[in-house]
Amino acid sequence: MRESLPSWLASSEGYRPGSDRDGFLTRSLLSMTGLLSRLRLDAGRPTRLSPSAPLKLVMGLVCILLTSLSTNFSFVLVMLAIVLVRACLLPSESLRRVASIPAGAAALTFVLMLPATLLGQSHSAALMGTKVLVSASLAMTVAVTTPAGELTGSLRAFRVPSMIVLTFDLAMRAIYDLGRVAVEMLLALRLRSVGRNDDKAGSLGGVGGMLLLRANDSAQTTFDAMRCRGFDGEYAMPPGRTWRAVNVAWLVALTLLVALFVYLQGLM
Amino acid sequence: MHIPENYLSPSTCGVFGVAMVAVWTHAVRRVRETVPAEKMPLLGIAAAFSFLAMMFNIPLPGGTTGHAVCGTLVAILFGPWSAVLSVSIALAIQAVFFGDGGVLALGANCFNMAFVLPLVGFGVYRFIRGRVAGERGELLGAAIGSYVGINCAALVAAIEFGIQPLLFTDAAGNALFCPYPLWVSIPAMMVGHLTIWGMAEVAFTVGILAFVRKAAPTFCLERQDDGPEGAAALRPVFVLVGALVVASPLGLLAVGDAWGEWGVEDVSALVGYTPAGMGEAWEWQALLPDYSLGALPDWIGYVLSAVIGVALLVIIFRLLAGLSRKAIDFG
Repeated sequence: MRESLPSWLASSEGYRPGSDRDGFLTRSLLSMTGLLSRLRLDAGRPTRLSPSAPLKLVMGLVCILLTSLSTNFSFVLVMLAIVLVRACLLPSESLRRVASIPAGAAALTFVLMLPATLLGQSHSAALMGTKVLVSASLAMTVAVTTPAGELTGSLRAFRVPSMIVLTFDLAMRAIYDLGRVAVEMLLALRLRSVGRNDDKAGSLGGVGGMLLLRANDSAQTTFDAMRCRGFDGEYAMPPGRTWRAVNVAWLVALTLLVALFVYLQGLM
Repeated sequence: MHIPENYLSPSTCGVFGVAMVAVWTHAVRRVRETVPAEKMPLLGIAAAFSFLAMMFNIPLPGGTTGHAVCGTLVAILFGPWSAVLSVSIALAIQAVFFGDGGVLALGANCFNMAFVLPLVGFGVYRFIRGRVAGERGELLGAAIGSYVGINCAALVAAIEFGIQPLLFTDAAGNALFCPYPLWVSIPAMMVGHLTIWGMAEVAFTVGILAFVRKAAPTFCLERQDDGPEGAAALRPVFVLVGALVVASPLGLLAVGDAWGEWGVEDVSALVGYTPAGMGEAWEWQALLPDYSLGALPDWIGYVLSAVIGVALLVIIFRLLAGLSRKAIDFG
């Protein structure tokens, strides 16, 4: 017996999904959560000439403070030269991250100060823009060149309470994974939204809730794993040579920088 | 040879700006096609040579000063279109950060030093290289190419200066912008470039080229052996850049301004009136005007400027390397 295809199967289907706007999903949310997944702070490669993490943190803070307080443009330019030379020596991926955020911040400052430029005060705009560029670059350089573990360790060296260090530590460890999970879930949501889906926003609550549960799970498992390895809630400083010759050299350099700051401020 | 702000009329600046946009677009396309991503950071070092060469001011009896550009050198090492981009970025940094050359005149300055100079220089180099074989041919080509290149660039700059009083004058016949006509600007620019500054360009180009070919042969477009050993092989080039940075204050030995790079007061004193277009026109305030750092000694300002300039060039080209497409060999 010869069977033919039913007519409804034989007819050609020209499926064209109705136009759907998913810019909110693809651009805003994906790029925001993508940023989270890029926050991983372990691109640093300490060499034997690098200062220890606590000293690096202090140096970064002092340099940012001096740059902000300086009313002499010469000092800001000296700091700019130091920051640029340090950036030249970074690996490509770190350089891209260190360059992009401060450049954006400096450009925004410059735009905000544009009225001052047009009114003949272009010096103020240049000073503010350069200060923002230098400060943001210093913060980014310290962040990308210091592994997350050492950063938390250096917090403990400054007698920050253990509970705060624990919270910071867990957040640092989880934030990268959470960013990745969020990107995966949003991608899944986008792929399943075939045709026109008017209820995309409704699913967002689900994504947020899942993220919260995952964050809770992740923090709990990490904490349990730490307990299993003997963590008793205290971050003990490992005994070691804290006063290496390199650290002394960096301290001398920092002292010279402070002296230059005082000298240049005196000239104003 | 850096044309300052307001020496050229806005329309002249506009014409050269538009012309350079076309040149830059073509140069970007050619560089993306010919320069592999891993070679892009080296372009930053090559641009640094040009930047530093322009900081070494050389005096001429009579109080004027000039400098080498090294555009032909970059063209020989990395191709003429790479030289167009490298020298253009070096000139942009000089204009924005150090007030060396006008921001509005950037198109004209790039046309002279980043387009005419390397293309003419490279053309002459290729012509001689095809006729004289071996290392001798290369160095001879570089010497004659760089000499012809810088003189062509100086001639074009002199014409740009010289046509201003012929085209733009007020009702009293006074020039609105650069006050010197062609019959003054061409001899004034060419005397120095045909003699001392042309020779300086030859010395910089041949000296650096010979050093690079011997000490770091991978510092060019043709050799592809990169990797950890490749980076170590480039160490002599970094040492040379460092030495040039430290030696940059030698440029301070030359006192006085280059021809056509005076301040408005100096021009007024020279010609007896202030050209209207120069008097109250917009002027960009650079971060380190004239490579000086306020209260600090001049030599510190010079070294700091060299460090900032070289570091910026290296960072810009390393970031550009990240943007350019990686070449995949499917063969």
